Amino acid sequence: MTPALAHHLIDDVGAMLLFTMILILGAGQLYRAIYAVAAQSVFIGIAGGVLATATGNSDLWVIAGLTIVIKAVALPWLMLRVIARVGIRREIEPVIPISLTLAIAAAIILLSFYLSASLGTVRQAITGNALPVGIALMLLGVLVMVSRRKAVTQMVGLFASENGIFFTAMAVSQGMPLIIEIGVILDVILGALVMGILMLRVRSSLDEDIADLEQLKG
Amino acid sequence: MDGLAPLGVAAARVALLALAAPLVTGIVQKMKATLQSRQGASVVQPYRDLRKLLRKGTVQSDTASAIFRAVPPLVLAATLTAAAMVPVLFLPGAAGGARLPLGDAILLLSLLALARFLLAVGALDAGGAFGGMGASREMTVGVLVEPVLMLVVFSVAAAVGTTELGDIAARRSLAFRAPDLLALFSMMLLLLAETGRIPVDNPDTHLELTMLHEGMLLEHSGPGLGCLVLATHVKQIVIMAFSLAIFFPEGLAQSLAPQAIAIAAGAFCLKIVGLSIFLALVESSYAKLRFFRLPQFLGMGLLCAFMALALRLL
Repeated sequence: MTPALAHHLIDDVGAMLLFTMILILGAGQLYRAIYAVAAQSVFIGIAGGVLATATGNSDLWVIAGLTIVIKAVALPWLMLRVIARVGIRREIEPVIPISLTLAIAAAIILLSFYLSASLGTVRQAITGNALPVGIALMLLGVLVMVSRRKAVTQMVGLFASENGIFFTAMAVSQGMPLIIEIGVILDVILGALVMGILMLRVRSSLDEDIADLEQLKG
Repeated sequence: MDGLAPLGVAAARVALLALAAPLVTGIVQKMKATLQSRQGASVVQPYRDLRKLLRKGTVQSDTASAIFRAVPPLVLAATLTAAAMVPVLFLPGAAGGARLPLGDAILLLSLLALARFLLAVGALDAGGAFGGMGASREMTVGVLVEPVLMLVVFSVAAAVGTTELGDIAARRSLAFRAPDLLALFSMMLLLLAETGRIPVDNPDTHLELTMLHEGMLLEHSGPGLGCLVLATHVKQIVIMAFSLAIFFPEGLAQSLAPQAIAIAAGAFCLKIVGLSIFLALVESSYAKLRFFRLPQFLGMGLLCAFMALALRLL
């Protein structure tokens, strides 16, 4: 694969990552946000495959496979099961209105493009738009986490943030050491499990919402 | 350069679009009926409606001024002028050097905006409560839609280097990249809003709480209403042809040979039918959004178009 083609493909995947991020931000219903984050993880896997072919770094194949199996299939399945069991498929109750979130998102995207323009030397031949896209994904994931109340959506935000870090790491440094990536994925699995168990337990023993935990603080 | 022949070509294009426009509405209605297990009216029903309206007399409110009477022909004229600018069958270079730079995407969009403004003024002038409400809602949607349309055009124009629609269609055949996918997504959202389709407006209802576009037509009658209804049909096909020209210009004829024109006509019909299927599917599977949810719906389009532009420029 020629560097120019890899460059194009990474740019295209970056645009699709941002597109799925918009779908997550605009999703009014939980299952749509979950499908969107699953699609985003598939695109991360594709980016891993493209970079593995372009750089010949075989660790990236392992990471791409792990990402697709765990973040695009297993964890979304777990989250869909949790919301089916708990019975919340209604609209997300945002802390700030969704249209305002979209406006903030536009500002964040502009900011990340501006920021990465000043980091010109870090941009390597293969990365193209990967750095601003990665930064934007990271910040937008955090935005989802702070602006939504449901634990599932906060988890979706964490995944999106994760995907941003993965994308930046893959594109800028051509892959982190395998052991670190696996550790990060384990972290995500643990977070999802804790979220699932916590939600199911809280629901079954108290019949309360996660947001009500806020009232417990002193 | 002989100015007359291209002017005739533009007039022929306007006539073609104006004749085909009610048929597109009829096809969408028929598809919707089929999807909803109804028999539905014939596809030529919009023509019959227009003929009926043009034969009838006119009634107007006592408070209406001359502006009210002038609005229907002006709206139709602005929309038809916009129709002269979309490439439908052939590229601008096809006539062998005789190019006709009639106008560009910005002029086309501003003509549609002019039609929208005139329609709202006419609705306010009649003094009816529904007209005022419809006008206020339509202008609110206009504020949300028009900047996004401009962003979509700019994101495509930044790649091609011109806002002239014919040149955009001629030069973009190769490079369909991911930013275009983002722009295409927001164009599809805008298509629903601009043609008054279901997540935004309901074209089938006269229920006062839900209507946007119909509210502004309520006070008009007879040939005036016929003009406005025809303008609505033409606006729909213009927006469809506009999005086809900037995203899928494949099939536009490179020369004026009869075969090439025939192929281009076939391709255009296929693409329009494809968009009609999209409209019918969306209308049959989604519920109308509450009016105050529209900023969120169109905000996603704004963000996508904005991002497409950012990926192009930054």
